[in-house]
Amino acid sequence: MAAPVNSVVNSSAKCSSFNATSFQKKTRSRLISIPGTRPSVQNGQLLVSTGVTSLDYLLGGGLAVGTVLLIEEDRYDSYSRMILKYFLAEGVVCRHELFVASAQHTPDDILQELPSPILDDVAIHKPVEQPRLSHEPQDSLDAMKIAWRYQNLPKVQTALASSSRFGHYYDVSKMMEAEIREAAKCHRFYLPEHPTQSSPTHSPMLESYSALLKSLRDVIQREGFEVTAPMSKSRNILRIGLHSLGSTLWGDDLCCHDNPRHGHALTTFLYGLRALLRSSLSVAVVTVPSHLIQNRALMGRITRLCDNAIALESFKGSEREANPLYKDYHGLLHVRQVPHLNCLASQLPDHKDLAFKLKRKQFSIERLHLPPDLSETVSRVSRGELAGTAMVGSACGSGTSGNKHLDF
Amino acid sequence: MLSELLQGTDTGGFLIVQDNISHSGRPLLKSFISAALNRDEDVHVLAFEASEEELKDGLQGLPCQRLHIHNAYIDPLGWTAHPAFTVQQFCFEELTQLAKQTSQPKPATLVIDSLSWILRHLNPPHVCKTLQQLRKGGAVRAIIGLLHADMHQRGTVGSICHLATSVIAVSPGMKADEAVAKTTKRAKSGKVTQDEEIFRINEDLTVVVLNKTSHPGPKQTDQEEPEMDPTANLTFNLRLSDTEREAKEKLALPFVFSKEKKMALLQSGPGSGRILYEPDANDDYDQEDPDDDLDV
Repeated sequence: MAAPVNSVVNSSAKCSSFNATSFQKKTRSRLISIPGTRPSVQNGQLLVSTGVTSLDYLLGGGLAVGTVLLIEEDRYDSYSRMILKYFLAEGVVCRHELFVASAQHTPDDILQELPSPILDDVAIHKPVEQPRLSHEPQDSLDAMKIAWRYQNLPKVQTALASSSRFGHYYDVSKMMEAEIREAAKCHRFYLPEHPTQSSPTHSPMLESYSALLKSLRDVIQREGFEVTAPMSKSRNILRIGLHSLGSTLWGDDLCCHDNPRHGHALTTFLYGLRALLRSSLSVAVVTVPSHLIQNRALMGRITRLCDNAIALESFKGSEREANPLYKDYHGLLHVRQVPHLNCLASQLPDHKDLAFKLKRKQFSIERLHLPPDLSETVSRVSRGELAGTAMVGSACGSGTSGNKHLDF
Repeated sequence: MLSELLQGTDTGGFLIVQDNISHSGRPLLKSFISAALNRDEDVHVLAFEASEEELKDGLQGLPCQRLHIHNAYIDPLGWTAHPAFTVQQFCFEELTQLAKQTSQPKPATLVIDSLSWILRHLNPPHVCKTLQQLRKGGAVRAIIGLLHADMHQRGTVGSICHLATSVIAVSPGMKADEAVAKTTKRAKSGKVTQDEEIFRINEDLTVVVLNKTSHPGPKQTDQEEPEMDPTANLTFNLRLSDTEREAKEKLALPFVFSKEKKMALLQSGPGSGRILYEPDANDDYDQEDPDDDLDV
């Protein structure tokens, strides 16, 4: 978001206003430089990485500071939790401060499961190995020359990646070492440890949410993450991870009924969260169990209140698991919302059909792209059967119905 | 997977037996009770839906001093002066108190018959919160609950099952004494395993897993059709003779760049322009090879 960057530029410009000339060479160094951030190529907003390289690409380079990323959880909350952990792990590696809130697991549980960073790897992004076609023409005799017009076209690149590297890679099979983890400053919010007193004032927000918001505001004020804070010390980013917001454990009945009693609780909280983030150097990732929320209008409202919104749809337990089209992937990823920051039109992802897979060293989001099916057996069988059934009724096949051969 | 779960759910486990009107899950719940009693564990049963006699039926041969039935069947809402257990007592403090009454220091297993009854009288967030606190509290080793899925809104069932480590959904099988169990188990690492089994419950409440229902895999077409050459009886020529092939290969296709043409385009001949450049001191020369990402 541009607001923090601009104000810092202004304040530093005032400091150097005793220069003789009013002319100043525009340089990059005027922007605040915080490790683990970079300005966006499109609009110059300060970005941080989500920890998943392909997700960064999808969101237009990264998450803008001061925005909220909403992740609609998959059915068993395995992959959405993974992305949340990637986001926090990236914060640990970049030495950002963390704020973890949960009602189900203790924040320490989540922090202990952070994936181990691969720090010494080379920056070369290996191109995805194209699946070899089973009937690849080997000799010139059978070389297909029909599609000569297309021989100079580039192959479809399924993996999403930008040219420059931003963020780190992580090894999911290993946990992050304790000393790296403890080097990062982390604020924890575990709901059962916060006694929520029922406030006499009638507010649309639940006590659990207002306690969370209050705790967040305290951290932001105390640790000086506000944009207006004095420039005396070096600035840092606060990464906020809120797990499974809106679930029943937060005391919210959003998931239970079509017309929940606390229907405005989560939306009110999100308004407050957004106001808080917009005026501070912080960025939040919120996961919501949207598959439990029956009221679609409410879910739409929640999506609207976040800047970015993606939904994960795991194949686990669905009939899609057996579908050969999806055999390489673990689930589908839907982009529900892209940020409109200080502009009317936003950059849209160039591809709508996206799938994700979790490999040991990488969580990758790829374009769902179907390679040409050149094998002899797959489609031809059905074609043959079709011809066979058509032959029974057709006149031209009547004479040779016993001996099945090609008819036109 | 069903027999695995019967052998003992791990500590902090929360198992839900989900049934509906067409098939009751109570026999399976009783199997879980008997399996826990056979392991010498204390079992606390919150009985809302069945009388004590009905629950104890079939458990006679077992060490019943370990079985503690909290009878909420007679007076669930506390209308009489001395109710045994009421639905209002379903909260973390009360249940921890109950579980600690037993002499054995080992944490007990809590069986809830049924969660549906509790959900009718308490609001779902409170029930979920209590269940989660019990799991983390340590006074209870495992929770096994019966849930009638067709009694509640889908979101409520989903929210309760979201907390569970294992969900067994039972449905009627092909024969009268058989039933199908769809099991979903969530490991702590986030790994999800699913299984579908046919089972039968004997008189002594032991569960016999009959067979695994085969997954609807790719169906094999049973009749192997004799391979035939579709090009056998053609009215036209599909094959090429050697001379024909030679002629075909000679043909230059449009848009195909031959090697000679490519080289001619790339290498500038005499008379064409060239770029001469002398490096300057102020040049912003990039040390990095711009093409290092290319595979050349």
